[in-house]
This record gives sequence, C-alpha cells and structure tokens, in this order.
Amino acid sequence: MTHEAAAAIAESPSDGARVLDDAPAIEARAISKRYEDGTRRREVVSEVSLVVPRGALWVLRGPSGSGKTTLLGLLGAMITPTSGEVLVCGEALSRLRDHHRTRARRRLVGFVFQELALVPGMTLTENVLLPLVPSGGATAAQRAHAAALLERFGLSAFAETRIERLSGGERQRGAVARALVNEPPVLLLDEPTAHLDAARVIDVVAMLAALRDEGRTIVATTHDPRLAESAAVDRVLDLADGRVVAG
Amino acid sequence: MKRQRALAAYALGALVRRRGRSVAVAAGLAFVVALFASVLFLGDALRAEVEAGARYVPDLSVQRVVAGRPALLSTDITTSVRRIPGVRSVQARVWGYLYVPPISANVTVIGASGREALVHATLVDGRAMRAGERDACVLGAVLADALGVRAGDEIALSSDVGGASSRTFVLRVVGTFRDGSALRTADLLVTSDANARALLGVAEGFATDLAVTLTTPDEARVATEKIARLVPGARVIDKLLLRRSYALTLDGRGGLLTAMLLPALAALLLLAWDRLTGLSEAERREIGVLKAIGWEVSDVLSARIWESLIVAFVGAAVGVLAAYAYVFLAEAPGLAGALYGWSALYPPLRLTPQVDAAQTLALVVGVALPFVAVGLVPAWRAATLDPDRALRGGA
Repeated sequence: MTHEAAAAIAESPSDGARVLDDAPAIEARAISKRYEDGTRRREVVSEVSLVVPRGALWVLRGPSGSGKTTLLGLLGAMITPTSGEVLVCGEALSRLRDHHRTRARRRLVGFVFQELALVPGMTLTENVLLPLVPSGGATAAQRAHAAALLERFGLSAFAETRIERLSGGERQRGAVARALVNEPPVLLLDEPTAHLDAARVIDVVAMLAALRDEGRTIVATTHDPRLAESAAVDRVLDLADGRVVAG
Repeated sequence: MKRQRALAAYALGALVRRRGRSVAVAAGLAFVVALFASVLFLGDALRAEVEAGARYVPDLSVQRVVAGRPALLSTDITTSVRRIPGVRSVQARVWGYLYVPPISANVTVIGASGREALVHATLVDGRAMRAGERDACVLGAVLADALGVRAGDEIALSSDVGGASSRTFVLRVVGTFRDGSALRTADLLVTSDANARALLGVAEGFATDLAVTLTTPDEARVATEKIARLVPGARVIDKLLLRRSYALTLDGRGGLLTAMLLPALAALLLLAWDRLTGLSEAERREIGVLKAIGWEVSDVLSARIWESLIVAFVGAAVGVLAAYAYVFLAEAPGLAGALYGWSALYPPLRLTPQVDAAQTLALVVGVALPFVAVGLVPAWRAATLDPDRALRGGA
C-alpha cells in the first residue's frame, strides 16, 4: 500500500469500517445470491461484478424476476451474498460482522424501498428521524437537517402528518428524506417511479439528478423507460436471470 | 442512558400505535397479578390482625370445661394459680356473647377490669372508660355502625338471663375502637365489670376465664400442667400455640388458593407465548424497516424489551391496584370466605390495609420477567434476519 493510499484510509469511530477516499462508491466482486427452498436451489443473482464511481447516477433495468431488487439489496448490504463481496466506499461490508455492517450501512448507504417501508402510525418527521433513535435520538442540528430535507422535498406542511394520510408521491419523497437524514454518500432506490404519473416521474428524475450533482452516488432499479431513458442517467445496466446482460 | 431513553420513547410510541393488542395483553397480566395479589393482601391483612390481636392475649387463658362445654370458673382458684412458679399475674375475666335483637347478632361483651390497656391503646373516637364508671361502654367501630350510634349516644341492652329476671341497661357510648383492631374489636362491647356480669348473668365469685401472665413464655408448658392438676376440667390455651395455629391455617389456605391460581398464570403465559412467538405481519415488517434503516439487533431487542417491560409493569401495577381495591375497598367478595374459613363473622370484618412491599414486588417481577423473556425470542429471530427478508416477512 502506498503512503498516499494509507493516508486516505479513515478509521470510523464506531463501526471499525475503513473508508478509502479514492475508492469507488460501490464495487461488487463476483457476487451471487442463492436461495434454497427445500431441495430446490434458486440463484437470483449470478456472478455480478461492477464498479459504480462516486457521483454517478446508475439504473439497473430489467423485467420482473430479473434479480434487480436482490442485486440492489446486495449492493446496499441489505442482503448477505452467498459468494463474492461488496465494497462500499472501499469497505468490504459483506465481510463485516452483522453489527459492524449495520453501523457502516447506516453511515454509508441510504435505502429507499419500493414499498417505501415507512412506519404507519408515525408522523412524517418521526419516520425521517427514526434512523437516529439508536444513537440517542436526533440532536438539534439533526432535527434542523431533517426539517431542511422536508422543506427541500416540499413536505414541510406534512411534517406532523401521519404517513397513512399522505399521497403516494409525498410518501416517496418522505422515504427519500429518511434515507438522506444520516447524509450517506450512497443512495439506493428500488423502483422509485413505480405507480407514479408522468409529471411525478419528471420530478423524481430531477430530484435524483440534483442529489447526484451534489456528489452523491445513486443506483436505482426500474423497469420504467421514463426513468431508464432519461438523459440525467449516467449508465443503465440491463439484467436478465440474475446476470448483467448489457450496459 | 440517552440511547435507552430514545429507545424507550420509541417503544412507548409503538405500544400506542398497537394500542388494542397492548391493552389486551396488559389486561391479561393485570388479571393474573390481581388474583395472586388479592390472596397475598388478604392473607397479610388477616395475619396482621391476628398479630395485633395477639398482643392483648394473655400468655395462658384458663377455661373450665364441663361435659365438653365451657363453664364458669370459681374465682377462688385465682390465688392458687398465682402461687404457681413462673406465673406473674392472674386476672379473672368476665366476658361472653349477648344477642342484640335490633341487629340480629351476637356481640361480645367484656368486663372492663384488666382490659384498660386495650381500651387505651386502640380508641379512636371519644374516650376510654374511667375507673369505676358504671353506665358507660366502648364499642367496636363495626358494631357502632350496625347500631347507628357514635360517641355520646346511648344504647339500651337487655340482660341475657331471660324471663322476668331480665333487666334493661342504658349505657352511654363514650368511645369506639379504631379500624386497625377490627378483628378483635369489630363486635366488641366493653363495659364495667358489674355491667358485664349483670348483662351476661355471671354471679359474683365466678369468671368466664383466667388470664395468666407468665414471667417468661418458656414456663408455659410447666405452668399448663400445674394448672390442669389444680383446676378440674381445665382447658389451658397457650398464646404461642394459638398464634401458630392461626398462622398455619392462613398460610395453608393462602397456599391452597395460590396453587389453585397457578394454572391461570400458566394459561396466561402460554397465551402470551402463543401471541408473541407469532409476531404480527406489521411487527415483522417494522423490525425489517428498523434493520433496513440501520438499527442493530441489539437496538431492536432493546426496544422490544422496553415494550414488554412497559406492558408488564403497567399490567402488574393495574393488577396490584385492582387487588388492593378488591380486598380493602370491596372486601374481597368470593375470596374472603375461602380464607376466613367456615365461620361467618358478624358484624362484618373490615380489614385494615396491610401490604408486604417485598412480596408484592416479588410477585410483579415474577410475572414481568417471564413475560419479557418470551417476547424476546421472536424479536430476536426477526432481528437477526437480513433486513430484506424481514421486510418481506421471512420466517
């Protein structure tokens, strides 16, 4: 290791993860994911390798069952690969023990699920601040940051509104705000334009482009051409049967 | 501490969001705790009454039994008993039961001689009887209530000798006993020795029993043997044996009731296990969400522990309060009969609240801890899944 490379290693205070400043945002090395159902084995993702540079907006495209959601989960350390490894900002998250991986993920990756995974019964602000609870709750600065995120996404008026009273678009922007509350360098979104009308899709693409332009790395899955074919997208990877077939 | 405070606040919010289930589980716990706590409270209160009463019971009570029935004693033997080594004092007592038609009940009439200590110690309303005061009496609070009188009022009682010899006495109520002495004073009427003799038909030179005080309780066995030889047909009641009998009876009945309640506790824990091992779909998803947004397994488990603790301690607290109200305010209908035994006390016994804090705490912890423990298993199973699987409801 060169002196410069060693100097670029930053020791995380809590999770022990080493972050290389000059490493790519995401690197997948021959990752596979197999599920076993009794005697039946099903490989959902097969030997995928890719490198996502920092500050890029990538899209994983493919039909239902192509493995794009599983691949996104593997890239975000939501799912443990059966083989291969995933590095986020230079740190091999898939090799870390569960609690170290969780802490590293909390710091490095924001994740927006297709179902949004907001907690019903809680207000929008409570949902956005939820990732901060294990660290003792939000500080004043974090609350201000959350409020700023809600304002940025046009949700200030709904800050104290319960999730179930929000529209689909409002919920989705709320989910993005929650994913960003820890200010992670990587944002992963699963089908962010599903069930949105054309106008909303344009808003989402603009939002993703703006976040990318701020230096965040964004990877989204979609089978929606309105997102995949947008000029804002830097690269599209086509998936079929758990493999990258084009892009 | 800050982390735990934040997790506890989250847990409280989660319980409010699932308030229907939270209330149902807490109510079940409260019911079981109330059942056990009622037995504890009732037993403790009765034991306290017995202990309080025992303070005024002489070391030995000497009665005479003729043909298996209690009979009057001649006071001539007092001197002989006093001479027995180990005997400090002997008091000839006059007491008995007098039927009072207006309340259709027997009351216990006691001649005041030798009872001054009791009278002075427990009066709450009015005053004690004065030496030589003839037409006065002190009543148990329950009896005073039944008669509808209080200090300053007068009551009329007819003697129990029957026929033309029966006389009516008008007595002024000068005081009533406090509730804390209910078991021994509830139906008590203390009046002058002369009045008691007249009301009960006990002639001069006779007594209902002898109250014997010993120099030391160790002398009880020897003194009992000597009294039995001295007084034909004597029945000697040892205070220590009396207390032990009461304690054994109450402990035995309480234990029996507690044993009968154990299946209820087991059923509740099984129900809780059944409910909690099957986390609802919403709860499993919520755990998946928490994992997905960066909560560690220990964070999820801490939040679940807080949830269970809050439910358990709220349930237990409600149970303890309900038991207190049931026993000391509602007078434990149903349960009281089982602990009191076959005898129906009249006028009704009002128990003085008596709670053993350590025992109650042990009960609360004994119910809460298993409850918290069974809640952890399914939460741990869900929290150790990949967040993606937990979100999809993976088992």
